[in-house]
Parts: sequence; structure tokens; C-alpha cells
Amino acid sequence: MIELYQIAAALYLAAGIGSLLGLLLPSPKMSRGGAWGLAVAAVVHSAAFASLHTMNPPPPLTDLVLVLSLAAWMSVLALLALMWWLRLPGLAAAVGPFAFLSVFVTALQLPDAGPARAGATGILPHAHVILGAGSLALLGLAGVAGGFFLLEHRRLKSKRSLRIAWSLPSLEALDNVNAVSLSVGFVLLSLGMLTGMAWREKVMGAFWAGGSHELWMVVVWLLYAGLVSLRFLGEQGARQSAASAVAGFAFLLFAVVGVGMWA
Amino acid sequence: MRLLLVGMNHESASVEVREQFAVDDPALILDKLVASEEVGEAVVVSTCNRVELCVTTPHVESAQHRLLNFFAGEEASTYVHVGRDAATHVLRVASSIDSMVVGEPQILGQMKDAYRAAVEQGACGPVLSRLFQRAFSTAKRVKNETGIAQKPVSVARVAVDLARQTFERFDDKTALLIGAGEMIELALVALQREGLEQVRIANRTVANADALAARFGATSHGLDELPDLLADADVVLTSTGGDRPLINAADVEQALGRRRRRPLFFIDIGVPRNVDPAVDELDNIFLYDVDDLQMVSNRNAEKRKNEARRAEGIVQEEEQRFDGWLVALEAVPTIRHLREGAEDMRRSEFERAISRLSGEPSDEERRILEHMTKSIVNKLLHAPVARLRAETDREEGMAMREAARALFGLDDLDTNDDKGEVDE
Repeated sequence: MIELYQIAAALYLAAGIGSLLGLLLPSPKMSRGGAWGLAVAAVVHSAAFASLHTMNPPPPLTDLVLVLSLAAWMSVLALLALMWWLRLPGLAAAVGPFAFLSVFVTALQLPDAGPARAGATGILPHAHVILGAGSLALLGLAGVAGGFFLLEHRRLKSKRSLRIAWSLPSLEALDNVNAVSLSVGFVLLSLGMLTGMAWREKVMGAFWAGGSHELWMVVVWLLYAGLVSLRFLGEQGARQSAASAVAGFAFLLFAVVGVGMWA
Repeated sequence: MRLLLVGMNHESASVEVREQFAVDDPALILDKLVASEEVGEAVVVSTCNRVELCVTTPHVESAQHRLLNFFAGEEASTYVHVGRDAATHVLRVASSIDSMVVGEPQILGQMKDAYRAAVEQGACGPVLSRLFQRAFSTAKRVKNETGIAQKPVSVARVAVDLARQTFERFDDKTALLIGAGEMIELALVALQREGLEQVRIANRTVANADALAARFGATSHGLDELPDLLADADVVLTSTGGDRPLINAADVEQALGRRRRRPLFFIDIGVPRNVDPAVDELDNIFLYDVDDLQMVSNRNAEKRKNEARRAEGIVQEEEQRFDGWLVALEAVPTIRHLREGAEDMRRSEFERAISRLSGEPSDEERRILEHMTKSIVNKLLHAPVARLRAETDREEGMAMREAARALFGLDDLDTNDDKGEVDE
């Protein structure tokens, strides 16, 4: 089981390096190889998830390490799906290393099999974790697309050579990724929060306990609600939306990972 | 008579400088130039990348001073080519070696237009005619004998590549073409090949817009509709005349609000520029003028370096041929004086011989004698004249003319007193 995580981590790393070289050299073959490497790594990663169910009982899905690993897997799947639709060379260079880090940490700290936390079984906790990880994945993808948009915007404004132009996605493609990821990610985030509240109500008899995770996630939700409104009401241009997506994801990472580790 | 060229191009001066000296109608300048004592013939080349005055002159220094006056205030951004350097430069420009995008084909047409304008204005004489004809044939050779024009990365191509970095697809985009011109139309054709369907054409003269619109399957508009057109357009291609920018930052800011801040991509190859440079400061706006296009197409120049070297060889060869012709042309006054001297001598010897005859010769006898003396003179002069006329190198030609003057006693000959009288 650990071996599958290690193999997936190695494949993600190789895919990330391949994509990065494809971007810098620039080499279309390398870029394509990076994308294929990401797909293979995602398959191995799926097998690693499946293997968790061979443990008796399986490790708790609510563990932060597993949540991040799940989010990385979902972000890779989302990127591969978007790559069918849009020309997105280069994005694998950012998603690959992120997936590698998550899976590498999982391989190092795979939680032991043991009884799940009280009330952490059933549909609601699973739905909460899957929806939460999905929102992290998609809002992360929106942040990555936003980062690439800002780089490409700056490059086009500075009138530099077209040498690596072909290896980067167009601004329109990046903006589309941003819009789709942001809207779907926000819906998942909202559903994740609702299922989390329902789960809490079922276990503790109250929707709201005022814990740090809940508090920070409400702040995150409000922030993204504002960003989505600005984005889709046409008050923000593509560049401002990209910058917002980067800032929003940085805040989300802090709220989930930073606060999660601190708590 | 020497060649002199003073000008500025995309390498010596920025578009901000070049646009101050762009020539819309060369007729006035041509008239002024050829009316001056310093200038014999003149051609004015004014494109988005260069403004050049090419003249023949007997007095290089004063002519240079006059031509530099045209670029008053920006003399530091000019270059001056004299004699063979000027000829080489004209050949290089026509062959697109000196172009912003090396190998681009539009410059040849622009040179032909400049030459035609000079001919129509009566400013182009035998020397510049010969030089420009030679330039056109050199360009043809360079195109046929080197790979410089194969798969040309034209301004149009660079523009499309840049647009592709902004937009993922073109079938749902709208292009707005303001003005007209070969380069801008090629860019539009290239965008249509990428799938662009919606095209709007705006022009000061709506009839001109109608004609272009019919060619491109577009709709035609007057410039008064620009605010609405900008709000709908995704790609704006501009190349029109005028002293002031046609589109300023406030226009674009207003259009951005109406288009919900969707990106807007400008290619402005007008000189003077049609779009205020301040527009580029706005978010989601990408404005490329001719100098910006040069910057992004540098890679093209690198790739074409080898072909350009071969093209330079052809230019040198053709320049030598032109110079040989010019040397031969410079011998024309010598030849004329030689013939005039010989004719004077023949005529006086003929009359003296007639006066010594015992009786008056008949008309028939007189005609025969005259024919005989003319034949002798022509046969004696044939070899030296042919040698003087031969297209040879400059030093040999000068040596030949000096020898002819010394041998035939033509030392007082002034080769510069025949301005405008020589025949090609």
C-alpha cells in the first residue's frame, strides 16, 4: 500500500519535472509526456486509494493527510478533464509537484488502521470530506490558472519574445479554467460546509460549535462568495479575477492546512 | 553625380520618432528636393518602419545638410549613406534584409510605390531609375535563390501568434480593421484562416470600407461608430493615416466597461500610431505597435541569419553591377567631348581638304568624302569609346577616363557640368 503511494509520488514528480522542462526548453514532446505522466500517476494514485480499503478497519478519511492526498488526486483528474477541452500546456508543471508533495507526505505519514473517530463513518462524513477535498482541488486549480494568467499577462505586456509562447496556455483558456474551477469549486465548498454542519448536528446535536476550523471555513466561504459575485457580475476583469483566485487559494490553504495543523 | 541617402528606420529610431517624419504624400517633398540646386534626382520611401530620402547630388555635403534638415531635431536618429553604401542600402531594403521581419514581402511593394510616385512627379532620372530597377531585380533574385522568403514570418504571422496567446479560439471573436494596407489585410486573412468569422471594417471614407468589406465578407462602418465597434471587438487591427491617435485611453476604458472587461487585443502598425500608447497601461488590454512586433519577432531574425548571409552576397554582386553601370555613365561626358572634338577636327580637316581641290566637287563626291572621313573617325574612336562605356569597377573606370582625357587632350573637361543631360 505504501509502495503504491511511493510509486504515485515518484510518477507525479517525474510528470512535474517533465512538464517544467517542456515549458522551459521549450519542448512540446516533454509537455505531452508530462501530461501523460500525470495521467499514469493518477491511475496509480487511484489504486493506492482503493488499497486503503484492504485495511481492516480502513484509516479514517477525515485525517488531514488523506484529505490533502484526495484533493491532489482530484485536482489532477480535474486538470486532465480540462485538458480535453482546452489547450493547457504548462499547467501540469504546477499541479504535478503539488500532487507529489501531498502523496509524498501521505506515504510518510499514512495513518494507522484503527477505529474511526466517533461518528466519522457513514455518508455524511464521507460526503463532507469528498466535497471539501473537491473544493480544495478546484479552487487550487483556479489559483494555479490565476498564477499562470498573471505570468502570461505580464509577459504579453512586456512584449517579450514568442519563444516559449506555444508552451503556455492562452489567457482565454486560463480565464476559462479559472471561471469553471472557481464556480464548481465554490459550489463544492458550499455543499461541503452544509454536509459538515449536518454531520456535526447528527453527532453533537448542533450545527455550529464555534471551533476554529468552522470559523475559518466560514471566513473562506464569505471570501469566495465575494470573489464569485465579483467575477460573475462582471465587476472584475480577467486579471483581477486571476489575482483574486491566487489570493483566495492562499487563504484557503492557510485555513485548511495551517489551521488544521495548528488545531 | 553621387548617390546620397539619409533616413531613419526601426533600428535607428523608435516609432515615436519615426511617426513625426512619416510622409503621407511624397509629391511636395519630391518637388522641393529636385527644385534645389544640390539635388538631381530624388525618391522618398516612407513605410511604417522607415523614412528615407534617396537622391543624386553633385555636392554631397550641402545635399546632406539639406536632407538632414528634413529630420530636424532628430538628426541623431538618422543614418547617412553615400555612394556605393547608399546603393547597397537600397538593394538591402528592397530585398527585405533590412526589414523588421527579415524576409517579409511587403517592403518590395512599398519600394515600388515610392519609385512610381517619384517617376510620376518627374523626380526620378536615369540614375535612381536604374538603381531602383536593380533593387527590384535583386529582391527577385534573393527571393528565388535563398530561403529568406520561404515560410516567411511576416508581421501578419507575428500578429496572429500574439493573438493566439490571448485567445483560445477565434470563431467566436470579432475583429475590427481600421484603415487599410497590405500588412494589416494580410493579418486579417491570417486570422480568418484561424477561424475568425466576424469582421468589421471602419474607414474615414465609408466607400473604401465598403470595398474592403466586400472582399472580406465584413460589415463596413464610418469612424464615428468606433465607440460601439470597440465594445464589440476582440482584435483591433489599425493602419490608417492621421497626425493624432484615433483611439485614446478614455475610449478604450469606456469600451472595456461595456464589454465587461473582456481582453482586447490591438495591433497598430500605423505610423504615426493610431492608438494612444497610454492604452497599453490598461488592464486586459494588449497593444502592439510596429516596434513591439519587432521585439517579439527577433527569433525570426535569428533563424534567418544564414539565409540573410546568402542574400547579402547577392546584394553585393548586384551592387557591383550597378556601380559598373554608374562608372560607365560617368564616362558619358568624356565620350561626348571626345566625339565632339573629333567631329570638330574632322569637319575642319574636311573643309580644308575641299578648299585645296582644283575644282568644286560635286554633291555626290562631297557626300562620299564626308562619309569616308566620318567612317575613319568612328572606327578610330570605336575601341576607346567601347572601353570607356564598359561596365567596369570604379578605379579602372576612373583610370580609363583620365587616360582618355590625357591622350585626347580633354583635360579641361568637367564631368559635373552635365547635370540632367546624360542619357542612360
